Amino acid sequence: MTRPTDRAAAVHADAVAIGRIGVATQGMLRTFVGSCVAVALLDRRRGLAALAHVMLPASHGAATPPGKFADTAVPEMLRLLAERAGEAPACTAKLVGGARMFAFGTGTPIGEQNVAALEHALAVARIPVIARDCGGDCGRRVSVDVATGAVTVETVGHGTRTL
Amino acid sequence: MSGVSHEIETLFRVGATQASRALAAWLDRPASLVVERLESLPLADAVAVLGRGDEPICGAGMQVAGGLGGVILLTAPDAVGLILADLVLGRSPGTSRAWHDLERSAVMETANIVGCRYLNPLATGLGVEDAGALIPSPPCFVRDFPATVMQAALSMQTAESDSVLLATTEFSIDGVPTRCGLVFVPDAAALGRLAAAGGRGRPA
Repeated sequence: MTRPTDRAAAVHADAVAIGRIGVATQGMLRTFVGSCVAVALLDRRRGLAALAHVMLPASHGAATPPGKFADTAVPEMLRLLAERAGEAPACTAKLVGGARMFAFGTGTPIGEQNVAALEHALAVARIPVIARDCGGDCGRRVSVDVATGAVTVETVGHGTRTL
Repeated sequence: MSGVSHEIETLFRVGATQASRALAAWLDRPASLVVERLESLPLADAVAVLGRGDEPICGAGMQVAGGLGGVILLTAPDAVGLILADLVLGRSPGTSRAWHDLERSAVMETANIVGCRYLNPLATGLGVEDAGALIPSPPCFVRDFPATVMQAALSMQTAESDSVLLATTEFSIDGVPTRCGLVFVPDAAALGRLAAAGGRGRPA
């Protein structure tokens, strides 16, 4: 198994719980995703980052907490970033997760649905996706370095990569 | 066992007793399952049931269709899973050092045997007309972070609620607790059956 980098271990990290959104101006934002998707919105110019742990593609009107659903997470992240910045943020996005950890059932796996729904929500918000590490069958530990915008993806048995 | 009636708790214990017999026969040594937890938990707490750390766990999952559907997982810390595989394969504990097809197969078959024996009495007790109609999927081996394994199992319950009903058991083998056990995550239909049968654990 991979270990967090020395830098990641040394810098303060906020854990983003399942279905929630974290916003930070420094340090790290972290979460674990399997079929869920971690979407990071990065405003490098203002030194802002938001990380949502999205579980499901559509809220169907049940938007609490907003970070749980792809269609409500992106607008809420933008609102939170604008609140911090005092103006509309200029963001890019990175996507991680959407794995199919168990080969259960038929139809489109929930992870794929989550990724597609987030891509749609980001396109509607005109936010470019500049990097992604999605799909496969393994979980991922995701660490967002707010200062650099680097997103480190660690897995069990499939190595580490930085987006 | 908060939020769940005595009747439902009893059914899970009966399931654990049946599964204990199956596990002991399968391993050919004294073994038992103890129901540790049967409660409705907030999502963030449910995800952490298998641990909050980043040490990998191993196990096998099955999706169960039929009158008592859901996901059942057998999970263990990596080292314990390898010992379980050794016991199944008739080797001295500690022989296996890595996961190969044989070790994976041993864990998957254990999940199949013990998981089904755990759920069958529960289905019968809940009045599922033909408990034999429970249809488990082939087991899938998993070795990953604890949180990501639980997320995958929870995804069937989370569309409707921000809390999750979980039933967890722990295996004792030769009288020693193992940190290996079963987690059952009932699906929405099974939650309805549990609620109708007296379970107060249905998420609000």
